[in-house]
Amino acid sequence: MTAHGTPRNHDHAHRWPEISFQDRMDTVRFDVHERAHIVVDGSKCEGCSTQHCVVACPANLFVPTSDGGIVFNYEQCFECGTCYLVCNVEGAITWTYPDGGHGVVFRRT
Amino acid sequence: MTAVPSTAPAVVAVCLKWTPSPFDGGPLGPDEGDDRFAGVSPADRAALELALQLSDAIGASVTAIAAGPSAADRVLRDAVAAGATRAVRLDMAAGSDSRDVAFELAQVVADACVVLCGDYSLDRGSGAVPAFVAHHRRCAQALGLVSVDVTASASSVAGAPDGELTIHAVRRLDGGRREVLAVPTPCVLSVEGSVASLRRAPLRRALAARSAPVEVIATPPAHHHGAPAIVTPYRPRARTMPAPAGEDVLGRLRALTDAGTSGGRGETVELAPREAAARIVDTLRGWGYLD
Amino acid sequence: MDDRSLTTTDCDVVVVGAGPAGTCAAIVLARAGLDVVLLERGPFPGSKNMYGGVVYPRILDELIPSWWEEAPVQRWVTRRSTMVLTPDQALTVDFRSQRWGAPPYNGATAYRPDFDHWLAAHAEAAGAQLVCSTTVTGLLRDAGGRVVGVRTDRPDGDLRTRLVIACDGVNSFLAKEAGLYPPVDAANYTLGVKETLALPKDVIDERFGVRGREGVDIEILGGTGGVNGGGFVYTNLDTVAVGAVLKLPKLAAQRRRPEEIIAGLKSHPAIAPLVEGAEVKEYSAHLIPEAGLSMMPRLAGDGMLVAGDAAAMCLAAGIWLEGVNFAMASGMYAGRAAVEALRAGDLSTAGLAGYERRLSSTFVLRDHRKLRRAPSLVLSDRVQHVYPELITSVVERMFRVDNPAPKPGLRRIVRDETKRLGVRTRDLVRDGIDGLRSFG
Repeated sequence: MTAHGTPRNHDHAHRWPEISFQDRMDTVRFDVHERAHIVVDGSKCEGCSTQHCVVACPANLFVPTSDGGIVFNYEQCFECGTCYLVCNVEGAITWTYPDGGHGVVFRRT
Repeated sequence: MTAVPSTAPAVVAVCLKWTPSPFDGGPLGPDEGDDRFAGVSPADRAALELALQLSDAIGASVTAIAAGPSAADRVLRDAVAAGATRAVRLDMAAGSDSRDVAFELAQVVADACVVLCGDYSLDRGSGAVPAFVAHHRRCAQALGLVSVDVTASASSVAGAPDGELTIHAVRRLDGGRREVLAVPTPCVLSVEGSVASLRRAPLRRALAARSAPVEVIATPPAHHHGAPAIVTPYRPRARTMPAPAGEDVLGRLRALTDAGTSGGRGETVELAPREAAARIVDTLRGWGYLD
Repeated sequence: MDDRSLTTTDCDVVVVGAGPAGTCAAIVLARAGLDVVLLERGPFPGSKNMYGGVVYPRILDELIPSWWEEAPVQRWVTRRSTMVLTPDQALTVDFRSQRWGAPPYNGATAYRPDFDHWLAAHAEAAGAQLVCSTTVTGLLRDAGGRVVGVRTDRPDGDLRTRLVIACDGVNSFLAKEAGLYPPVDAANYTLGVKETLALPKDVIDERFGVRGREGVDIEILGGTGGVNGGGFVYTNLDTVAVGAVLKLPKLAAQRRRPEEIIAGLKSHPAIAPLVEGAEVKEYSAHLIPEAGLSMMPRLAGDGMLVAGDAAAMCLAAGIWLEGVNFAMASGMYAGRAAVEALRAGDLSTAGLAGYERRLSSTFVLRDHRKLRRAPSLVLSDRVQHVYPELITSVVERMFRVDNPAPKPGLRRIVRDETKRLGVRTRDLVRDGIDGLRSFG
């Protein structure tokens, strides 16, 4: 409530704790394989000004580096395909499915 | 100890602890017949891989055994797909008493020269089954192995006068130390998950294994077969602690936590096995680990 | 080089993907006595699948009579709401029908790892050979380009077959490899993200005004933080799913993270009271082939059919949001066409034409053709960013009592508000006609 006694939108937002991104990802089960099923060629990312993958990846796996490149973690990947679709640098993302039986395992989706 | 007659084909047995789904799926959650989230631990998978490698090296067949309801057949068929030659299921409820499971297992693995187990299950039980099986078989045991040298083990057969197999392995000890073992067979081994990673089953074998026969052995109701005393998780008994002595807060804290004192209440004694065992039990009892 | 007469096949049909499309194809084929291998890359069917929450299973009447007695349904949707949101307003059209809470039902909420797993058990019971944990990495083709099998990532993993049915999902690398897809455009796809939130069943019943197995499906226009798309809230037995569907190029361009958009939805005054205090049980994401008919690949090639999401069989037409039913139906018709083609011994594109013929004569392609303009209209900038505010501000002025000022009259309000928001009458009329055409 504000000083004037009127409810404000953002009061609702704080009625429950917003979880950290890592806690959010920890709700998902992943059977990680040692082979990286998605490979990002960081050298191709250096000239990329948009870096759409960094924003769009729902698992937040693309991390921009200070030298303009991209570091990618494949372990907590939903295998959705967003990254290669929004990428506009030919050959920067090599995308395959993880080896059979590995990767994300949904339970309540 | 009973040696395997050299005329019989050698058998390596692997015991797979099937654990029902730990996942709470809500009101419609998985029941016992649901095999989606049920399965075996990485340590059990490592044990299976090691059994397959060992059997390849010494020309043995592999018997895979699980205890559980029919939902456990899947892990056995997966084992057959990976290369096991025989699949046996002890028909018992999941979570049966370790002593009953071990007694039944011991009957099935009676002809095995090596019995492999994972050193932990998905539900993190007491890890007592391998030791109980060894007890029933009256054979050697080596638990919590971090590596098994398959080549050296297989070549031990040629060097031994009576063609006996000896398993060469390394066991983890406290304090980062390792113990290098030569285990006579028959024996029961339990291995950590890191000793081997299970091979992918070839597609055609995976297809054929879908209808692979699983021998089902009916088991009598629970009756704790002549088992050794139950080992319970460590629950220290309450005891009166004197107030820590010390000049200042730091000193009292040190006295309370043993910090800074020379490490280890342990002692090294050399005794015959029977006396050594008695001494260990006495010491554990003194520390409050045993009732 | 390839001598087909000497090539033995391992089975009659390989179905790739044990989702609703592949499983229904396998059920039909196995029941026809054919030798079917159903390959699934996840550890069990459904483990890779996530969706917007409601399945309409009536098509299963043809395959599993009385499916409702055994399907792992969370709740039967008896309340459907369509909500238009601006940051501090909400207009809801709420419909309830108790008839949807009794056989043969209408929509149902269900978890896909449950539903797909249950459905696949029927394929196995019919005799299909389901092999999980097996990723198909490519097609086997003869010198003439005809598909003659698949390569999997297992050792000794090639499987030669007479027909491949690709039900390998929205990314369908098999349909792309076979050259059946037009060039891929990110604008044809939306990203679905959702949170499954835990709440006690009685709290859900109370907040959503339902009892027993009754459930609610809320579809939302607006509230997605400037990213074209939509939101949804629906009830499971003891969880509530909240999520958003986001147009990919817009999501990237707006620089809003998907989880922030969900957080924005959850904090909206119209949604917050429904979900507050709930703990996140699972976060998930999946792509949706949003553009419908305009992105569909060719549905058959020599030795190959495509069904389900792999063939973009997903209807994202604003007020109708369906996919699993289209997947099940396309799989079922692919199976029937395959049986026919195998019996006739002609597995060429022409021999498999029975598939498209069946889709064209049933809801699968008829709905898509009828609603072909709807996806682009619903995701257009005016529908997404202007009309929600126009509608809510018109309603707000209608219900606002501005005494002593007299009521302005509806025509005046509409004129004022369209002018204030810079909506040209020409566009409004054209979109109105488009809407009538799209949905009529």
